[in-house]
Amino acid sequence: MKVVTGVVGNDIHVVANRLIELSLNARGFEVFNLGVNTYLEEFFDAAVETGADVLLISSLNGEAEGWAREVKLLKENYKTLDDIVMVIGGNLVVGTADADIIIPKYKKYGFDLVFHQVDLNEGLDTLENYLKERKTA
Amino acid sequence: MNLLQEEREIILSNEFVDSFDFAEVEEFVRNADKELFISHHFAQNKKMLVQPRGGFPTYEKQFALNEFFVNANVDVLPLTIDSNTRLNDYATAKKMLRLSEESEQDMLNGYPLVNHGYRTTRKMITHFNKPVSLRHGTPDARLLIETAIASGIFEIEGGPITYLLPYSKNFPLDKAFLYWKYVERVCANYSKLNLPINRESFGPLTATLVPPAITIVIQLLEMLLSLEEGVKSFSVSFSQSGSMNQDIVTGAVIKKLASYYAEQIGCGDAVINLVYHQWMGAFPTNKNFAESLINTSTVIAAMVGANKIITKTREEASGIPTKEANAKTVANTQYTLGILNGLPKIVDEEEEENLTLAVKAVMEAVFNNEADTLWRKVFNSIKDGTIDVPFSPHIINHNEMITIRDRDKNIRIIERGNVPLPDRFLKYERSKCDLNKDTTSIVNDIIQDIGIMQ
Repeated sequence: MKVVTGVVGNDIHVVANRLIELSLNARGFEVFNLGVNTYLEEFFDAAVETGADVLLISSLNGEAEGWAREVKLLKENYKTLDDIVMVIGGNLVVGTADADIIIPKYKKYGFDLVFHQVDLNEGLDTLENYLKERKTA
Repeated sequence: MNLLQEEREIILSNEFVDSFDFAEVEEFVRNADKELFISHHFAQNKKMLVQPRGGFPTYEKQFALNEFFVNANVDVLPLTIDSNTRLNDYATAKKMLRLSEESEQDMLNGYPLVNHGYRTTRKMITHFNKPVSLRHGTPDARLLIETAIASGIFEIEGGPITYLLPYSKNFPLDKAFLYWKYVERVCANYSKLNLPINRESFGPLTATLVPPAITIVIQLLEMLLSLEEGVKSFSVSFSQSGSMNQDIVTGAVIKKLASYYAEQIGCGDAVINLVYHQWMGAFPTNKNFAESLINTSTVIAAMVGANKIITKTREEASGIPTKEANAKTVANTQYTLGILNGLPKIVDEEEEENLTLAVKAVMEAVFNNEADTLWRKVFNSIKDGTIDVPFSPHIINHNEMITIRDRDKNIRIIERGNVPLPDRFLKYERSKCDLNKDTTSIVNDIIQDIGIMQ
């Protein structure tokens, strides 16, 4: 399974990004890490270029909310991305808000899995289960 | 006119600079009071110098901060520069300075030195008559350091590697080397007029599980790049690692090797100082615990034998500290230093030998690079992963080295990536760690290891 990952926008927080890469590798994924400070177009371009199965976007400073609104619109311009699994995680708002409000919002933006302040391994377990179920469905 | 002077005239013919008077600035530096030179205070070697961090947008607030520091018995004043100036965006800095002046709200996270200009800033610096250290994070600091020296700031922090790899994703590293070459030359030339201008490298890097071997290699290389341009006073630095023994070993090795390599390039006459940063990682939110951590850092700095300590505050976890909290740390640190008497001498020969072996191997690999000048050798070495900084966001960094803490909280290298560390060193490092875990547990350990002070 191929995963493209990175931190969206002008966010430069690199620690978790590096740990996500290590963990995905350990779980047997082929990882294409775009690092911090990555724009949506760069994510989609990389997904097309690598033929990725999963796009895992992360955010620490919360600016993801501003960017995520444009996901659907931008993704429509790419012909081969209809089946890609869209995942987002980290701190998904600036300041604080309840997961009950945040998760449906991001699902509407076009994400299949949304992790707001969820432990890394718990999130990756959920992703693996989701991929398994999808395969059998 | 030589090429450097031509370049200086271009840099200083900037719409944000109010007519730079080269001759007047030279006269000012030539006649400047020796009290303004940190190199003078290092030479006196009376005590460990205490320097806080701090910068406010307006002249009035910066002046007030300095007054607080002086009342708290500060040794070295900081001048921290705002982030717009660091990115050479003087237009935004100017606008935000005006907004800050017109209201109580600070719209900048530091002092926009270029916008204030040297004529204004010099008044403040000569008023307090204390050495000032320029703290920034600027890849292209040419205009900034010209303004700083003209203002009476005779210590310049930074360097092409240490101000780039921790802070930027894609600013071109080769350009940073050339911009810093200019800085070194200007500092070297002014140093001929009076006491030396001190250059200081930024050893903490990403402050996230950076192993001493990498810190020392980068400190030594920035030192050599500076000395080869004629700088005569240089400070190498590192930050608290989390293990007292590891800090003492790092201090001992960096001092020995700095003299050794300076001698190797015929710069044995330069003065090399050691600077220690109090814990640079995530701080506890409990302010009493934060004070305890700061105090512990001071004790370790004394054990390390640092010439200067750079302080944090009890408000570190919550944002930019107030001037009151900042001054309080200075007073407390001075008090702790005053009562730390009769320190034992600790030498760990086995650890020193192991670390020296690693640093020398990487230095040799850098020197053996086929490029013709030192900066190109260093550039190539970062590009090919001979030097790898854990948790750097920069695209040029390899990010293949993996480090964890051992039982005593020493930072150990368990995966070396492309860094040419000897097998004997790696075996020693790995022997200190429990490697029978799966990667998931190691990742959890790393998360713990990063946040040990919280």
